[in-house]
Amino acid sequence: MPTMSALNVSVWRGAADGRFETFEVPHSTNQTVLDVVTYIQRLLDSTLSYRFACRVGMCGSCAMTVNGRPRWTCRTHVTKVAPDLRLEIAPLKNLPVIKDLTVDMSDFFTKWQRAKGRFAPTKTRSDPVEKIIPDSQARQAADAGIECINCAVCYAACDVVTWNPDYLGPAALNRAWTLQNDTRDGDQRQRLRAVAGDAGCHACHTHQSCQEHCPKNLNPTASIAGLKAAAFRAALTGKL
Amino acid sequence: MLERSTTDILILGSGGAGLFAALHAFNADPDLQITVAVKGLLGKCGCTRMVQGGYNAALMPGDSVERHFMDTIAGGKWLPRQDLAWRLVEGAVERIRELENELGCFFDRNADGTLHNKAFAGQSFDRTIHKGDLTGIEITNRLMEQVWDRPIQRLEEHRAIALIPTPTGDALSGVLMIDMRSGNFRFVQAKTVLLATGGGPTMYRYHTPSGDKSCDGMAMALRAGLHLRDMEMVQFHPTGLLAGPSTHMTGTVLEEGLRGAGGYLLDGAGKRFMYDYDERGERATRDIVSRAIFAEMRAGNTTPHGGVYIEMKHLGVDDVRRRFKGMVERCADCGFDLAGGRVEVVPTAHYMMGGVIFEPDCTTSLPGLYLAGEDSGGVHGANRLGGNGVANSTVFGGIAGETMAAHARQDLAFREPDESSIEFETARARYPFTKPSGDLNALRERLLDLMWNQVGVLRDSTGLEQGIADLDDLKCELMETGLADGGQVFNLTWHDWLNLQSQIDVSQAIARAALQRENSRGAHFREDFPEEGDLAASTYTVVRMAGDSLELTVEPVDFSIVKPGSSLIDGEAGMPAVAAK
Repeated sequence: MPTMSALNVSVWRGAADGRFETFEVPHSTNQTVLDVVTYIQRLLDSTLSYRFACRVGMCGSCAMTVNGRPRWTCRTHVTKVAPDLRLEIAPLKNLPVIKDLTVDMSDFFTKWQRAKGRFAPTKTRSDPVEKIIPDSQARQAADAGIECINCAVCYAACDVVTWNPDYLGPAALNRAWTLQNDTRDGDQRQRLRAVAGDAGCHACHTHQSCQEHCPKNLNPTASIAGLKAAAFRAALTGKL
Repeated sequence: MLERSTTDILILGSGGAGLFAALHAFNADPDLQITVAVKGLLGKCGCTRMVQGGYNAALMPGDSVERHFMDTIAGGKWLPRQDLAWRLVEGAVERIRELENELGCFFDRNADGTLHNKAFAGQSFDRTIHKGDLTGIEITNRLMEQVWDRPIQRLEEHRAIALIPTPTGDALSGVLMIDMRSGNFRFVQAKTVLLATGGGPTMYRYHTPSGDKSCDGMAMALRAGLHLRDMEMVQFHPTGLLAGPSTHMTGTVLEEGLRGAGGYLLDGAGKRFMYDYDERGERATRDIVSRAIFAEMRAGNTTPHGGVYIEMKHLGVDDVRRRFKGMVERCADCGFDLAGGRVEVVPTAHYMMGGVIFEPDCTTSLPGLYLAGEDSGGVHGANRLGGNGVANSTVFGGIAGETMAAHARQDLAFREPDESSIEFETARARYPFTKPSGDLNALRERLLDLMWNQVGVLRDSTGLEQGIADLDDLKCELMETGLADGGQVFNLTWHDWLNLQSQIDVSQAIARAALQRENSRGAHFREDFPEEGDLAASTYTVVRMAGDSLELTVEPVDFSIVKPGSSLIDGEAGMPAVAAK
């Protein structure tokens, strides 16, 4: 592959009290930000820590802050984000740094659970699979947010999470809304209660950062608006 | 420093097999202590998540488990262990309903609201249940949420390095692992242990599996003296993305459906070539297309990066963009225009049909050790049908969970470990810190090339013997190559070293089994023995480690349900319904 020129890459080293270190990495035509990070670890500094798994935007393990924006690194082409051949790569914001480019995602997963982001069955494996018309309104609403891969890009982009570390965040709320539209689910009322608290859907300021940064083009802001309206209706009718 | 803990049930891996095992064990007995240890984050590493195609289950009127069984046996070229294949097809039906009704998976529907079943190559009925072309994400996300919701302990970024036996060696005591974040060693003593780390042939230059995969499970099983079967059977997917040697994107799968829909494969000069190899052209099966592309590459008829092209634009650029949204977007992110241009592709190592010998209840020859998923061998024989992989991991994962729960309830005491084995294995893992640093990446590159060239798509005795010798050399050089950094905290390069050791050990098993099999079946093709041989006299290879060397034997296939030449169905197994009339 032709090497066109060198990239100037600043990489976060250490934990929260770390600093940036600079590396020079050859630039090539088919190169993702993850490739740059791997090049540094394999060939320039074997002590660099980072996390990745699938390489193709399915696992949501490799998100980092790239030139100030949270992104999947595996599907971020260098030429698209670094026209001036300069890259600054840091760990995701709003999550504790373990070392270098790896963060502890536990809080993010815990909040997914706090939002009751899991299906509550009403049937068993002995029952036939339910008929659901694909273009029904509820199915369309559930489908809109179902492909989230829990990469935490939206969570890192959310100002409200920064201000209020208890805030459930866009991904967990998006999952809750998806389940509220799942006609098979049996935990609707409890879930609405779980997301209607102070740190739930009403804390969202509709900055739309989540929607703007989602690599899957999902719209958690719209999901949160759906939850707000549902919680409001439930409160009015005494069902919350 | 060595930390110690205990658990009734220890599960290694968090793909379809590991997560299903955890849920079924918990449902069987919520009082048992269950721990899932995984090399990455729970549910986010491994390969179930990467499943694109779907999940085979005989749910539709007109289909039957007998038909699914026959397709699996015919596809596996009569090598599958038939009681395992039967358990697979029978279990898949229940698992799909469990995934939908109890775990919350939302599979695609027909216009009338029933489950949509799509066609997949090598099957006589359209039985592949799916969620768009991202089925694995839907399955794994839903499983992961359910595991999070239960009191199941998680040991994330914990890499298992050795199965630790009892002092007498007649049973398993527990597993030694490295807490990758702290770099400390941890011994988890367990009444039952499930090996479900997934295979993943990442030792080939071009490969599809997740970057965390390095065959650790099979390598640990080999070192613990277990017997592995069908190790020569490595499935290559014909169309992996080819984007140059220095990008992780190279090797990742461009889906089968592109060829099925009528996509063209073109050589470096832009000429179609598949009809020179098979009357079905680009629609021939995975193994045939992979061999044809490999032959073109060897003849030098290649693209700039040394592969061939896939071209879709004659099917209508907008149509391609709509039908293959995921693939078109992935290519676009990487700078390629799949819908309107040409994309370079290459065959890519995808799945290991071989693995540890196990029983239909997931027990093994080592008391305390259980197997499920790609680490296990015998379900798929010489070839795996698309859609049978995730069925395999989830069906047997669930069975393993139930078997382990039953056994853990019976066993009153934990088995004491062989302390000398813990010491030995700890020292073995720390070994690279005792050697001067060297060029680890160069060794990795050599492994990728030698497996691709000598033990890959087309094989013969000369190449295999050379490959075996080269692997021996590589292993010796690895043992002289240390690490620059003495720190154990989140030291990826230490884990790269350990990865390479597992990969070389398992590569040797593959190469030796490939040399042993002097015929061509399914994924295994010998240019010096191109015939499939007498089906009725079929044998399978078995490899085990004795001391430092590998021992090979062959065993006759037990046709316990159906013999070659007979069938459980009308019509032809493995043929599309129309072709079989």
